[in-house]
Amino acid sequence: MARPALLAVAALLALAPLVLPPFFLQLLTEIAIAGLFATAFNLLMGFGGMVSFGHAAYFALGAYASALLVKKAGLSMIAALAVAPVLAGVGALVFGIFIVRLTATYFAMLSLAFGQIVFTVIFKWKSLTGGDDGLLGLWPPDWLKSPAAYYYFTVAVVGVAILALHRIVDSPFGSALKAVRENPRRARYIGIDVRRHQLLAFVISGAFSGLAGGLFAFYNGSVFPDFAFFTKSFEPLVVALLGGVGSFFGPLAGAFGFKLLEWAISRQWPVYWPLVLGSVVIAVVVLLPRGFVGLAEVRAWARSARRP
Amino acid sequence: MHAIANLFPWITNGSLIMIQVMSGLAVGMFLFLVSVGMSLIFGVTRIVNLAHGSFYMVGAYLMVTLVGILPERPWAFWLALCVAPLGVALLGGVIEMTLLRRIYHRDPLMQLILTFGLILVIGTLVLLLWGPDNKSVQRPESLAGSVRLFGQFFPSYYVLVLVLAPLVAVSMWLVFYRTRWGMLIRAATVDREMLGALGVNVAALYTQVFVFGSWLAGLAGALAAPTVAVALGMDSDVLTNAFVVVVIGGLGSFAGSFISAIMVGLLQSFGILIFPAISIVLLFALMAVVLIVRPWGLLGRPEDH
Repeated sequence: MARPALLAVAALLALAPLVLPPFFLQLLTEIAIAGLFATAFNLLMGFGGMVSFGHAAYFALGAYASALLVKKAGLSMIAALAVAPVLAGVGALVFGIFIVRLTATYFAMLSLAFGQIVFTVIFKWKSLTGGDDGLLGLWPPDWLKSPAAYYYFTVAVVGVAILALHRIVDSPFGSALKAVRENPRRARYIGIDVRRHQLLAFVISGAFSGLAGGLFAFYNGSVFPDFAFFTKSFEPLVVALLGGVGSFFGPLAGAFGFKLLEWAISRQWPVYWPLVLGSVVIAVVVLLPRGFVGLAEVRAWARSARRP
Repeated sequence: MHAIANLFPWITNGSLIMIQVMSGLAVGMFLFLVSVGMSLIFGVTRIVNLAHGSFYMVGAYLMVTLVGILPERPWAFWLALCVAPLGVALLGGVIEMTLLRRIYHRDPLMQLILTFGLILVIGTLVLLLWGPDNKSVQRPESLAGSVRLFGQFFPSYYVLVLVLAPLVAVSMWLVFYRTRWGMLIRAATVDREMLGALGVNVAALYTQVFVFGSWLAGLAGALAAPTVAVALGMDSDVLTNAFVVVVIGGLGSFAGSFISAIMVGLLQSFGILIFPAISIVLLFALMAVVLIVRPWGLLGRPEDH
């Protein structure tokens, strides 16, 4: 995205609270969080060629870490939000060591298995996590209580996080990661430590997912085991898929479309939302015959066609 | 030894241990019926069908409806048990021919995503057709009670499962190793391209295998209906369990599914005795250990590159 476009988006987001009612600010807050989660996920899928089916685990680790640090350790919200991504990253490191040893389908399945372990531990460890009842009453401090304040806060944090992720993708590490995605064997021959790069990408992705989880915990006011359930793991996948996996900002656009569609349909017919989502997912898979690559190619082709 | 006996008082109770083994085996047999279909479908079509649990759920709901509309006669239950899985097989056939057939040559991850979409669609359709309330199915009168086994009571319905599932396993083994169709299936799991090049209609074989795998999921669901609350969440519950069984046993391995289903069944029934709080963690921990040590499962083959 070019700098003027970026500035225009930032200006629009800054002015939004002046015209939009609080409800839409909450929707935008949700979109920002979902966008961060999907962008962190896409660092793995789009740039590392690794598809995790258990990323909800790191989102939930971030959410529960924030909640517990505030409730049990008495930390302030800001301090908890700073520590949560670190804990989610540590979780991603511990699981990632094993997960990155595998490829493709088996990579997806081991990540799903670890995700379900996290879910089960949260669900069963009642004395710490509250089990099925979750942890309630997690509100931000007074100065962030209003929808507009929390909206500004979230957009700022997400903006900084997205810029950081963009820097990572553009760095030599990002280039090496893309090389690993394209051809792991050749990458190894030119001296790239494939597993270490994959693991580092996994940890970074997990940490930023944890940040998204922490932001969501204080937005939602409560955390539940559902955050870690495997259906939640598909959300960033679908968001990234809808927005375009091949581009860095694709998942952000996908989050916008996804949450808007969810809101429009759930408002009238909440029962039909999974039906619509499932049908959209099936249609995208069946109608885009080249899959992820096809999506990226169509975009590249459209871009080259526009330039003379 | 004395300390262990204090910690786990049941350890000296032989008949309790035997009953626990029996119920572990019964759980394992349910898991086998679900997971062998999933494993078979993967072995031939290379698709990990995440909607397999949804097929199981549809089998259970069809059982609810059929037992409800049939007259209250002793044979009604058995007729329903025969028809419900056929309904699921039909559903599987329609899905294979309209959707999956288009994506066999695609990125495996796209296939996973498509079958995930099916979970959402089928789940919502079940909600719309049958409503949000839990349902239940009466056990047939002849199997409503319990039998005395090792001095303990054991539900006689589980005896049916303990007989029926091994029968299915043996029949499947005979089909796989003693018929031409079974030979084609085994050949397809080894090398699909070669089988096609030899003039076998691979597309038709895929459909047949998918229909058969769906039938197995439907049978497991119909059989499980009288033992559980037939509810909307049962698709994901059974999916995760079947998934663990298939991954531990090795994707596409028939014997692997059987062995790992029994292991997982026993682990569940004893896990509840020993570590009640974390018995499900044990399950995923076992799966994680197997995937780390043998990523392709106990009896599976390494992934093609």
